[in-house]
Amino acid sequence: MNRERLAIELPGLSMKNPIMPASGCFGFGREYAKLYDLSCLGAIAIKGTTGDMRLGNLTPRVAESPSGMLNAIGLQNPGAEAVRDEELLFLNEYDVPVLANVSGSTPEEYLHVINTLKASKNVGAFELNISCPNVKTGGIQFGTDPEQAARLTQLAKEVSDKPVYVKLSPNVTDVVAIAKAVEAAGADGLSMINTLVGMRFDWKTKQPILANERGGLSGPAIKPVALRMIYDVRQVSDLPIIGMGGISNAKDVMEFLIAGANAVAVGTANFTDPFACPTIINELETWMDKMGVDHVTELMANG
Amino acid sequence: MYAKPMKVVRNREIAKDTYELILSGELVQHLHEAGTFLHVRVPEENFVLRRPLSLAAVNHELGTCTIIYKRVGDGTERITSARPNDRLDVLGPLGGSAFPVSLPKNADRILLVGGGVGIPPIYFAARQLTERGIPVSIIAGYADKESVFYEKAFYELPHSDVTIVTDDGSHGEKGTVIDIVKKQPAADWLFACGPRGMLRALKAEVPDETNCYVSLEEHMGCGIGACYACICESSDRRSYYKVCQDGPVFLAKEVYL
Repeated sequence: MNRERLAIELPGLSMKNPIMPASGCFGFGREYAKLYDLSCLGAIAIKGTTGDMRLGNLTPRVAESPSGMLNAIGLQNPGAEAVRDEELLFLNEYDVPVLANVSGSTPEEYLHVINTLKASKNVGAFELNISCPNVKTGGIQFGTDPEQAARLTQLAKEVSDKPVYVKLSPNVTDVVAIAKAVEAAGADGLSMINTLVGMRFDWKTKQPILANERGGLSGPAIKPVALRMIYDVRQVSDLPIIGMGGISNAKDVMEFLIAGANAVAVGTANFTDPFACPTIINELETWMDKMGVDHVTELMANG
Repeated sequence: MYAKPMKVVRNREIAKDTYELILSGELVQHLHEAGTFLHVRVPEENFVLRRPLSLAAVNHELGTCTIIYKRVGDGTERITSARPNDRLDVLGPLGGSAFPVSLPKNADRILLVGGGVGIPPIYFAARQLTERGIPVSIIAGYADKESVFYEKAFYELPHSDVTIVTDDGSHGEKGTVIDIVKKQPAADWLFACGPRGMLRALKAEVPDETNCYVSLEEHMGCGIGACYACICESSDRRSYYKVCQDGPVFLAKEVYL
């Protein structure tokens, strides 16, 4: 099969296909590497990395809801130095670019993570996580105010010699305003969307199910919201968009491309089926054969 | 880990809200250890998370394995509707650490303690030990008479001494498994699975010399160590283990319960 027909070029990410696992749903790839060759992926978005190691929230950290799930992991990760020295080295064995998800409580922490990871040669680009709903400080507060989002983007661009994508939060009244602000501040691309803040209660104990009480909703339940937000942003921006939110099969991928995404990330589906990413890549090519599509970019709205 | 569809052989209620699910399929040949679990997809599309269900028995000759699970919510409710010959999407075996049944020696005193739906892996471990001719003492605790299952199966195990206990005393002895443990001589090995409170109390009760292993339950996402949902604190509370990947069986003194 001619895999070139699936290949796409995004700033910093030369992708064999438009599919990558979404940050936070794939760890640093080690577990999935036992199941399949990670080199088949278009890219890998690694788990949100902070300056120092973080332990994250208490359990329960996940709760199911119809066609979706809430998570409140709380950015558990080994810290930027360990990610650089262990996880990125491990991933360097594979022929796949890394989108390094950068998280933090303060602008200084974000910049420290970028400075720590930027020399790793498999990091193709950074993804500024200004939309994590599960940490007390930082994260989403940068993503809900256009000025703060723009300021952080600008600072990140100043220290990074690699493209910077900004991962947008859907927990805003006007996602277009945030997208415009970070574009004006120099963002090279957008990732959208992060999870929607939600809650579930145990009717027997009358307590929230998650120890953190609130968590981020992901999975097919949020797909229409993601599609709408990508569509709205696409009307005003030419930035590359990595689309995500409930993608679980190739038809979902095509929907996201039509809405305005240039590539997609698969999140929760990796939990339902650990082989979701390679399965979707194969399915996508099968659909292209059926539809007589020569190149994946033809699947986009204007393709 | 393998991803293989398995066929339902039997799925029936054996006690209050407690079901015995017997599955057959290729996967069975890879199942060997008490404490490991299967990650079962709920047979309905709008459930995105699998259910981690621990093994109660494996029969390699018949090519079947047995899971005992409790109906606790909508997902397990759907699993109760699986009928013979239905296929279930199963990943397994999962879990990086099982009960170390090969370590105890014949003369060692071995105590196996299970509480409620934590009993299945204890039954599996009891079978593995007694099949090798190693005597075991078993304490199985339930809420009440209606919740009791596998009593006969436990009594049928050779070389075993079985105590059944219920919280309300409606069957067997009255009290908790901890009450029974206190009455028994200290063990060289203690394997336990049950609610977190029970494991915490056990850990506090057993002397340092006892090699006490506990199998933990936790809400899981991926089941393979990638999502960081099912963590457990180390005993110094400075780091986390992943229950699915580092456990579910831990040396009790390594974990904060």
